[in-house]
Amino acid sequence: MSESTVRTPKIALIGNPNVGKSTIFNQLTGLNQKIGNYPGVTVDKKTGWMNYEGSTYEILDLPGTYSLYPNSEDEIIAHRVLNHIDKEKRPDYVLMVIDSCQLSRGLFLATQLIDLGVRLAIVLNMADLAAKKNIEIRNYEIYKSLGVPILSTDARGFKGLEQIKSLIHEKNFSIDSSYLNISEIIPQSLLQPIREKFDLRNDYRAYQMLRFGPKDRSIDPEDRLWIQSLITSQNFDLESAQLEETTIRYRKITSLVESCVVKKEAKKPSSALDKIFLHPVWGYVVFLSILLLIFQTIFTWASVPMDLIDGLFAEISGWVNDVLPAGPLTSLISEGIVPGIGGVVIFIPQIAMLFGFLAILEDTGYMSRVVFLMDRWMRPFGLHGKSIVPLVSGVACAIPGVMAARNIGNWKEKIITILVTPLMSCSARLPVYVILIGLVVPNTDYGIINLQALTLLGLYLLGIIGVLFTALLLKFILKSEEKSFLMVELPTYRTPRWKDVVLTMYSKSKTFVMEAGKVILAISVVLWVLASYGPPSRMEQIRQEGEEKLALAPEDEQDAVKAETSSLLLENSFIGIMGRGIEPVIKPLGYDWKIGIALITSFAAREVFVSTIATIYSIGADVEDELTIRQKLDQQINPATGEKVFNKATAFSLMVFYVFAMQCMSTVAVVYRETKGWKWPLIQTVYMTALAYFAALLTYNIFS
Amino acid sequence: MHITADTMPASKSAIIREIAASPLKINLMELGFLPGKTITLNHAAPMGGPMAFLMDETLLALRKSEAALIEVQLL
Repeated sequence: MSESTVRTPKIALIGNPNVGKSTIFNQLTGLNQKIGNYPGVTVDKKTGWMNYEGSTYEILDLPGTYSLYPNSEDEIIAHRVLNHIDKEKRPDYVLMVIDSCQLSRGLFLATQLIDLGVRLAIVLNMADLAAKKNIEIRNYEIYKSLGVPILSTDARGFKGLEQIKSLIHEKNFSIDSSYLNISEIIPQSLLQPIREKFDLRNDYRAYQMLRFGPKDRSIDPEDRLWIQSLITSQNFDLESAQLEETTIRYRKITSLVESCVVKKEAKKPSSALDKIFLHPVWGYVVFLSILLLIFQTIFTWASVPMDLIDGLFAEISGWVNDVLPAGPLTSLISEGIVPGIGGVVIFIPQIAMLFGFLAILEDTGYMSRVVFLMDRWMRPFGLHGKSIVPLVSGVACAIPGVMAARNIGNWKEKIITILVTPLMSCSARLPVYVILIGLVVPNTDYGIINLQALTLLGLYLLGIIGVLFTALLLKFILKSEEKSFLMVELPTYRTPRWKDVVLTMYSKSKTFVMEAGKVILAISVVLWVLASYGPPSRMEQIRQEGEEKLALAPEDEQDAVKAETSSLLLENSFIGIMGRGIEPVIKPLGYDWKIGIALITSFAAREVFVSTIATIYSIGADVEDELTIRQKLDQQINPATGEKVFNKATAFSLMVFYVFAMQCMSTVAVVYRETKGWKWPLIQTVYMTALAYFAALLTYNIFS
Repeated sequence: MHITADTMPASKSAIIREIAASPLKINLMELGFLPGKTITLNHAAPMGGPMAFLMDETLLALRKSEAALIEVQLL
């Protein structure tokens, strides 16, 4: 048997947004899925495998789109996959999912697919909703008119899936047909040369190549120029041709729909919920309440698994230390790699939960209502209504926030959203805020207002101000010709599909671990090397002196001596040297070189600040005991001035620094992944650090 | 009387007459905003925010500037 005959048949799933396409995909493939990348774009490539009666089929889930004409990164994918020059990479069959209640909109895309000459079958999904709305569709009429096999399903109710499977198995797809004669709109003098040059099988494919070839980066630049010069030479207006095509196509579809859909006294869709959820006042109250509820839940629920993970990795480190022979390799594993992996894994509960909630909001149809409510308030800052999702997620953790920004179609709005999301005060800043506020802000109440709580609120607000200011700045700096538009469907409210919610949580966490994990691990190892090694002779001397002291020390002071030695070792490590190196730079902010070390190590993650400070001021092993750290810090005296190291000015300056500074390599890694390069994460890190520096400088001078 | 959809009174219905020429025209048409269709203004976000129109039993949100491209005749 030759290679090509055993090749797994490839079926692409396509459809408008919100038609239940992903549900069908999940039910056909189960957990048998793989999420990859399309080259050059950040759209997830979802592939799954369906086994049916001993045969395997590869199913490709294309992003939702309204037409073959791409408007966003998502939609380019559908266009590119279906028009792929390489026939081997093109799907063999296409399964189009249509919302039964939105027949004409679905048929618009379906008839374009017919004209493309793909082997097509149509699934009319949400048959239950159509029945509820008293819409009766005569499938056979559509089949007669289009020549495409068609069946009805209700994927949420698991109805009709067996038919889809057997349809695929029997390869019951349409064979070459056409719906619209594109040569009535586009002259043959344009179509013919394209068809010949690229060996295309019909005029519609030639038209697609003509329309989008010049912009498609997957095509040879020389060929792109050739297409462009062909268009220019004939002085043809392709855009009005597209409008004409749309008009004619919809006209034909409208008469088809009239002949095959029977509406019996259509009931008005229930809009009772929207009366509250989209209300000019109550809408926002509901939104805020839902947000509060989500954060409350995340902070309460996620802390349990996070503590467990923290403890588990500490134990693994200890275990590695015990089992393996002492040496550089062992400490690399126990102090570099294991905590590095732990630093990735610790984010999983938050990421998974946040994506779980987002999936629920998305699936019920509420999320597009939020976009509707917030668009007006986001736009003056160069953001889109959809930016609200990343920004809100950013309060828990910037990583899922940045990942959620990919839904924004407009490049400029997406980049601005990604760049400002890490300025929202995330949960990792909380330990830093708490310990510093505890040091310098008295725990007094003014009426019902607690001064410490007020300060904390102020820091969060400062982050939001940073977001708006930066977004505004970027709005004027970044140039984009791309049109921004909202045009979003507010789907009927439905109960969430729990299986899909769980799958989303799983796949998003996996993406984070696999993609960002590598970078995080690499940086952790580098930081470990810098913190563990220093000039060898000096380090050795400290170690020896430490051992001598330890031998002389009485039983109850041994821990203190050990802590002092490790503190000395850190001071003289490369990171310690770097800390001293940056002291002149950070002195104007009110920091000494010890804080400098903590600033460097906490680039890994903000909460590391607390543990580093604890190590440097040799507080001993119990990092969790916040009180002891606070007391120790409070006692630190600056030898030069005789004042407290953590006075009001320094502490506030540090708080403000942490509000704005990037200080999170996981975010850097995710921004790298989402923007496909180092340009934006670098610009972002430099900008945030500079902003943090000057804001901290200002703060220090105000308070001192 | 011909007006544009952004000036429609709340909960009133209108028939689409024409979509004005604009780079966004094609997007509106793809969504189904076509001459002859009936739309109802169901919701409007405050302070000139987006508007939600009911068309063919679907609720579609548009920015005010996008709705301004739709010429309608009130019913």
